[in-house]
Amino acid sequence: MKQKSTLKKITGSREFLLAVILILLFAIITAISPSFLKPKSLMDMLKNNAVTMVMALGMLCVMLVGGIDISIMSTLALSGMSIGMLLKYGQITSTILAFVIALAIGLACGFLVGLVISRASVPPIIATMGFMYVFRALGYLVSNNGEWAGAAALGSFKNFATSSVLGINAVVWVIILCYVVFFFFMKWTRTGRKIYAVGSNPSAAEVSGINVKNIKLMVYMIMGVLAGLGGALQVSVYASAMPDMQQGGEMDVIAACVIGGVSMSGGRGTVLGALLGSLILATIAKALPLVGIGALWQNTIKGVLILVVVMVNVILQRIADRNALKGREM
Amino acid sequence: MAGKSGRSINNVPENPVKRMIFSWEGIMVLLFVLVNIFCAWYSEFYNLKSVLRQMPVYLAEIFLMLPMAYILVLGEIDISVGSIVCLSATISCLVSNTGLPFILVILISLLVGTACGAVNGFILTRFQELPPMIVTLATQIIFRGIAEIVLGEGGSVSLVNSEGFKAIGGKVGRIPYILFLVLILAIVAALILGKSTFGRRVYAIGTNRLTAYYSGIHVQKIRMLIYTLMGTFCGLCALFMVSSSYGANTTTGNGFEMDAIAMAVFGGISSTGGKGNLAGGIISAFIIVCLRVGLGQQNLHPQVILLILGLLLICAVALPNVVGEIKKALKVKKNA
Amino acid sequence: MSEYVLELKGITKIFPGVKALNNVQFQLKPGEVHALMGENGAGKSTFIKVITGVHKAEEGEMFLNGQKVDFKGPKDAQAAGIAAVYQHPTSYPHLTVAENIFMGHEIIVHKMIQWKKMNEEANKLLGQLNADFDATAEMGTLSVAQQQMVEIAKALSTNAKIVILDEPTAALTKRESEELYRIVDHLREEGVSIIFISHRFEDMYRLASRVTVFRDSQYIGTYNVDEITNADLIKAMVGREIKDLFPKPEVQLGEEMLRVEGLSRVGYFKNVSFDVHAGEIIGLTGLVGAGRTEVVESICGITTPDEGKVYLEGQEIHIKQPSDAMKKGIILLPEDRQKEGLIMSWGLGRNVTLPTISQYAKKGFNNEPKERELAKQLLEEVDTKAVDIFQPASSLSGGNQQKVVVAKALSQEMKVVIMDEPTKGVDVGAKAEIYAIMGDLAKKGYAIVLISSEMPEILGMSDRIVVMCNGRKTGELNKEEATQERILELAMEKGQTSKEAGRL
Repeated sequence: MKQKSTLKKITGSREFLLAVILILLFAIITAISPSFLKPKSLMDMLKNNAVTMVMALGMLCVMLVGGIDISIMSTLALSGMSIGMLLKYGQITSTILAFVIALAIGLACGFLVGLVISRASVPPIIATMGFMYVFRALGYLVSNNGEWAGAAALGSFKNFATSSVLGINAVVWVIILCYVVFFFFMKWTRTGRKIYAVGSNPSAAEVSGINVKNIKLMVYMIMGVLAGLGGALQVSVYASAMPDMQQGGEMDVIAACVIGGVSMSGGRGTVLGALLGSLILATIAKALPLVGIGALWQNTIKGVLILVVVMVNVILQRIADRNALKGREM
Repeated sequence: MAGKSGRSINNVPENPVKRMIFSWEGIMVLLFVLVNIFCAWYSEFYNLKSVLRQMPVYLAEIFLMLPMAYILVLGEIDISVGSIVCLSATISCLVSNTGLPFILVILISLLVGTACGAVNGFILTRFQELPPMIVTLATQIIFRGIAEIVLGEGGSVSLVNSEGFKAIGGKVGRIPYILFLVLILAIVAALILGKSTFGRRVYAIGTNRLTAYYSGIHVQKIRMLIYTLMGTFCGLCALFMVSSSYGANTTTGNGFEMDAIAMAVFGGISSTGGKGNLAGGIISAFIIVCLRVGLGQQNLHPQVILLILGLLLICAVALPNVVGEIKKALKVKKNA
Repeated sequence: MSEYVLELKGITKIFPGVKALNNVQFQLKPGEVHALMGENGAGKSTFIKVITGVHKAEEGEMFLNGQKVDFKGPKDAQAAGIAAVYQHPTSYPHLTVAENIFMGHEIIVHKMIQWKKMNEEANKLLGQLNADFDATAEMGTLSVAQQQMVEIAKALSTNAKIVILDEPTAALTKRESEELYRIVDHLREEGVSIIFISHRFEDMYRLASRVTVFRDSQYIGTYNVDEITNADLIKAMVGREIKDLFPKPEVQLGEEMLRVEGLSRVGYFKNVSFDVHAGEIIGLTGLVGAGRTEVVESICGITTPDEGKVYLEGQEIHIKQPSDAMKKGIILLPEDRQKEGLIMSWGLGRNVTLPTISQYAKKGFNNEPKERELAKQLLEEVDTKAVDIFQPASSLSGGNQQKVVVAKALSQEMKVVIMDEPTKGVDVGAKAEIYAIMGDLAKKGYAIVLISSEMPEILGMSDRIVVMCNGRKTGELNKEEATQERILELAMEKGQTSKEAGRL
């Protein structure tokens, strides 16, 4: 009896549905183009989407408390550009130091954003819109008015993205590490659950002694750190740093979360969902050329997918509500 | 007829002049003057003539700010407008290149925009559960995606025959047509929002949607109309974009939604709905235009201008909140 | 050791512009159930929040077991063994029951939350309370009564020695309240001291041994429950004696105005029929959740019914949305003034004229002088206690807010006025004024539908009474034949005894 209900819970969950969709996608693509399932091809797919996948975790936290952050790609550009220039002009050579600096810059940016949102109660969309301009411009200033840091200038740093440990690419390791850490953080630690609590019912959280403002500050700082990490990964994977990198990419991150079932009004969403959402997006991007649809169609299909996912969700909810009502005896 | 107690309730409003001076719009006017003084000090080329010559490039975005203000007052947001501009601009360029009469090009551009806006409105009114942010995020990707498909591999289109577009970029004396159009539409939009029954209903919906519905207001009809009009204005903006760049590409209109929202919010229109008015929005739009012209004259990079605008935006929204918090704290202290 | 587990002295709490508590005191004996009563706005909820550390009092002292304590926040109060179950369940709808119970004091080993252990513990607590749901259920899917049970389990899980229940029965049906009483008895037997806030005398008589009364932010007195009479208690609460609350004047009934036939909406109500004549007040009553509000919402186009017909003055009408209803002359004054009736941040004048602005607009533009004139006239007609028409609706008391809602209905020519719980959360003085307005309206020939849960109000004001139970109309009574017992009988579910259904 109990087992049955557990099974039902799993099959009824959103993550299960997404996993089925993902497996179906894999099956269809492999049938059309068998080369897709090769480890190298999968590894490349993950590597090229590392930035979105990692930052989807931060966006998950932000959206869980009912916020949104559209400044992330500017933070990414600022931190990526900063280490790019430091490497280019030989200020630093160590890869680890470069990562630390990128993370620190991201953290600082996230702290600023979080401060303005949690303490001055500026609506998240407005605050992050302002910071989107500010950080992007700072990244531009850091780049000496538009210089690039090309592959040659990056020295050993770019090798990070090509090195592998135990046969798995270092960038993929970073993704795995992030997801494992967040899976535990969100599910098994008190702080992780506080994020859910604040998103689910802020006033109740306040009453039960959770410092809502600090939690809000924290999620934007998490987002900032991950954006900083994204900056380092971006520079490493593409072996170049330029001030306009990933412009507009924040929409991909938000899209990954939305497809993964993260609610925009807060409280609902899981690490697994964010993973599946970003994997589905990545798979589609990879698959379209394979199945003969031009890359030009990619955005339209992505947009339609988001729309379909959210609309189907509403329709299913309406059907469920109606059935629940019909079940009421009178 | 007075009540049983014969109590009389005052219905004489406060002096409107006094009210205006101490409002956000009052501050905005002051800021407008200060910004102009600053620009004149900063750039020796800054004068009426040069401003009139250089402003048309920036004016087109004000078209987007007007309906965006309505959407913000509704307590909603539309981040697909930049993409609608892109799609409208693309299609109007392509249509113009086939040699169709220019009046048809104008109509088609407006029509494309209107259709896109109607799609937004349709989805949002049929699926009221969905936050506008999500829906317009999806349509943002879709509309630009369609433009990408239409534009094909090259990703851009140039005007073959630019006469018509040149004509709408023209001037009366020194004053460009677009300035007239912007001012007329701005005044009409401000009057409708501030003084008409329609505007009052928009505020009612933005402040308390349920009460508005219970009071017999056609909430969904109004939302549909506003989102559709937002699209129409995108089509208008697209025409002027093409008239200044003689072509369109996949990045046309990139970030316009943010600029439009920033202008409105900077002008005191709250993104949470029900607050602010278009007078503030229009003044703030012109402050931003003047800043861009003035700073641009000294070859300050556009990114630096954006930096300044971003900081202004954050401060404009954060400051009143911070001041309010401090006032509240002081008041509690005083009572105790 | 003090004789009280909890004692508060001279508590004063100030909010911007108002003194929410003025030098109040309170004593709680170990193992007693102590009722805290008072009208809305008397300061009960604020007082509770002071005890639980949510608010910090400007003045006063608090003693726990004779020791002076100073709570910096809700956590301190929790640590000291004080738990509160608030009026509106303060739960996390997206999280599981177990998480809701253990929020803030999760079972942690090596900094890891022990889900399995927590679920087991939660199920044990729920078992004690005879709950019929599992700890892994999502909170949002539970009924209000079930959620309240979770809140109580939460209080138990902290091993609280003092449990505060803030109007726990407000949203419960009779049977669910009965279950709650049982749980409270159980807690008391375990040695827990309980502060019980309620509006209902029934709750107090059933549970409490002592009662403390607040009025207008002040402490009035503490009484033994078996030594104070109902009338004295009311007097303590309202500060005056109440008489002649219900002046429904004798009115010659006119033509039939509204007739509803076989109205049904899946899941809410089925086959409901009734009619109202001009000058008549129809009372629509039943237990909370019987489908009364849903019926009138369907009549007014807030929702659409699945079946059934609505006639106005003998003509069948089809209403798709509220504006249709208003055009035809039917208006609903909704139950929730703050969410559905008024725009709280707007001035009174604009609120009043909201439904009708277009009627006197000139070419689509507002005629503000005329609007102000009309607003003044209507607000004075319903005798609103207001200084000017520009003050925000939120600055008024509940009763005066209700008057503004009525004024809104008067701004246009109406035939049928439907009032949903017009006196909910309104203090006694203002109640009488609202009844007077209703009487006036009836005299002027309006047909009125009055939805109410308050028995005296229904009996006093209605010409006829329609009783609903579980989505169906179970009976219709004339003024002459209606008695409290008859109504109760009709409002009860089958199988309930009349004693159980005492709550209307």
